[in-house]
Amino acid sequence: MSTGPFLQVDNLGCVFDVSRRWLNRVIEGLPRRLLRAAAGVTFSIERRETFALVGESGSGKSTVARMMVGLIAPTTGDVVIDGVSMTDPRQARERRRLRQRIQMVFQDPYASLNPRWRARDIVAEPLRAYGLAGTRQDIDAEVGALLPLVGLDPADGAKYPHEFSGGQRQRIALARALASRPDFVVCDEPTSALDVSVQAQTLNLMRDLQERFGLTYLFISHNLAVVRHMANRIGVMYLGRLVEVADARELFGAPKHPYTRMLLAAVPDLTLSGRARKAVAGEPPSPIDPPAGCAFHPRCPHARDQCRTELPQLAVVQSSQVACHGVAEGWIPASPSGA
Amino acid sequence: MTAAVLSVRNLTVAFPTRRGTLTAVDGVSFDIMPGEVLGVVGESGAGKSLTGAAIIGLIEPPGRIAGGEVRLADERIDHLRPEALRRIRGKRIGMVFQDPLTSLNPLFRIGDQLVETITTHTDMSSAQARQRALSLLSEVGIPAPQQRIDNYPHQLSGGMRQRVVLALALAAGPELLIADEPTTALDVSIQAQIIALLRTLCRQRGLAVMLITHDMGMIAEIADRVAVMYAGRIVEIGPLHSVIRSPLHPYTRGLIGSIPTIDSDKDRLVQIPGSMPRLTAIPHGCAFHPRCPRAFAPCPTHRPELKDQAHAQVACWLYHEAPSAT
Repeated sequence: MSTGPFLQVDNLGCVFDVSRRWLNRVIEGLPRRLLRAAAGVTFSIERRETFALVGESGSGKSTVARMMVGLIAPTTGDVVIDGVSMTDPRQARERRRLRQRIQMVFQDPYASLNPRWRARDIVAEPLRAYGLAGTRQDIDAEVGALLPLVGLDPADGAKYPHEFSGGQRQRIALARALASRPDFVVCDEPTSALDVSVQAQTLNLMRDLQERFGLTYLFISHNLAVVRHMANRIGVMYLGRLVEVADARELFGAPKHPYTRMLLAAVPDLTLSGRARKAVAGEPPSPIDPPAGCAFHPRCPHARDQCRTELPQLAVVQSSQVACHGVAEGWIPASPSGA
Repeated sequence: MTAAVLSVRNLTVAFPTRRGTLTAVDGVSFDIMPGEVLGVVGESGAGKSLTGAAIIGLIEPPGRIAGGEVRLADERIDHLRPEALRRIRGKRIGMVFQDPLTSLNPLFRIGDQLVETITTHTDMSSAQARQRALSLLSEVGIPAPQQRIDNYPHQLSGGMRQRVVLALALAAGPELLIADEPTTALDVSIQAQIIALLRTLCRQRGLAVMLITHDMGMIAEIADRVAVMYAGRIVEIGPLHSVIRSPLHPYTRGLIGSIPTIDSDKDRLVQIPGSMPRLTAIPHGCAFHPRCPRAFAPCPTHRPELKDQAHAQVACWLYHEAPSAT
């Protein structure tokens, strides 16, 4: 056990090479094309906390999640979980032990479960892979205990994934994630493929499990209402960079970055309060050729010349961290204009 | 009730299988007036998309319309031959589906697809049709339509593609637009743009819209009336405010309570236990009774019909005089 935050992400960056093949580049005279999926991402997560990453498609939130669990090697930066670096070659042995304490739940429960395996084999896979249960009887007993935890019948273990609904499949995925007794679970859009009533069941279940097992969650979603319900702290991403990191209460009560305000204003209003949903102009630019300066400036109503040339860094503003020249220098009013 | 653009009565869609006939849409009735947006909500498997498909005659065999009738401007269209129906579809009824990439042909320029639709349904020349295509593209908010018209679908972003699909649906000046999950594949900021566009278009053109979605938020913003479907039937239908603010049916209540919102801070979401029944095992009586927190004596045996209650219509024994238990 180390002091400091449970998990520290430091200057994490990922660049994908999307160039044509070498020969094509030479013959057709094409330059190398790089896609910067994430850059300079820095945040920390405390134990038993839920940290959420929100953003639109292509904002790099899934790439960050995958780097954190080691599915993609970061181009720059490091992730340190419980004192163990995910990149340092000297800590390979510690990392192997750490791996079983990290699990992931994916978005699409139709793609993340092997259709040819029975549910009990899917749930038992981490037990077998990490050698956590000895005999067949031990494994069966463990699986028999895991299924009721997620609200499934132990007898369901004999069924195949196609016999379950989307919500039940996501429960199987949760049981599998819990099998190796993790401390840290990364949930990448766990409910966006589910109906609202099933989503409510799944979110409630995830909160219960967090309380019961003291889990730390990284929760990824594009749905701000879901994030509000789940997260203690939130990081807002735009085109591969964090633009705002704040406590959930602060972020929803007093959003600071113009992009955060825009996202909040675009959320549909169910209370019929008459708050008109503001349509936002424009679309996110391509990460292959991002705008200079602040990546949000082409869509930002407050943009000035400085924003077009100079990249804003995350800076502490009140209790949040915001990457915006206007907020840092005070020429964008700190209180939201009716979000 | 004479002016309804679309009038659906007792529509029933059945799929014959080896193990008997499955009724996926069961006695659905509603009207849509000109300029009105009817939101049809429900979870996967509620039969909402199938209702839309049945109206435009796109039920895949062996499924078929087993009963009821569909009237477009007082003209019956559910028993028309495929040939006659095809002339109505696209001309008098426009359609927008969920995934804009699969509803556009990837091999044709978007301009050619628009021109084809326009020349098929009107007697315009192709030069006139191209002019019309350009004005449609600017109407749906595509910047620089002169340059975009010769793009292929893959050159456009998801939001732009959905705008093109909307332009295609409007190309022949339809009276009715059936939009099936038109924003589900899009990001929130783009969703807000498409919804605003849809609202403007239907106000300007007096278009009747049947909006099929599972997203209550979208309904709350654009619909005039809401129909809630469960297991193939409408369980509640009424004006937007009445359904969202004071839902009557326990299913509608559960559905609205289970939606997380950014304004409230409640710790747990309301959850409806269990899941939507499969078509092979729709419970007797009220289909919702096994999951209903307020089920009582008549629910497992007697099926409630839609009846007037306050400003809406609801199919639930809590509001109607229950039949004596026999």
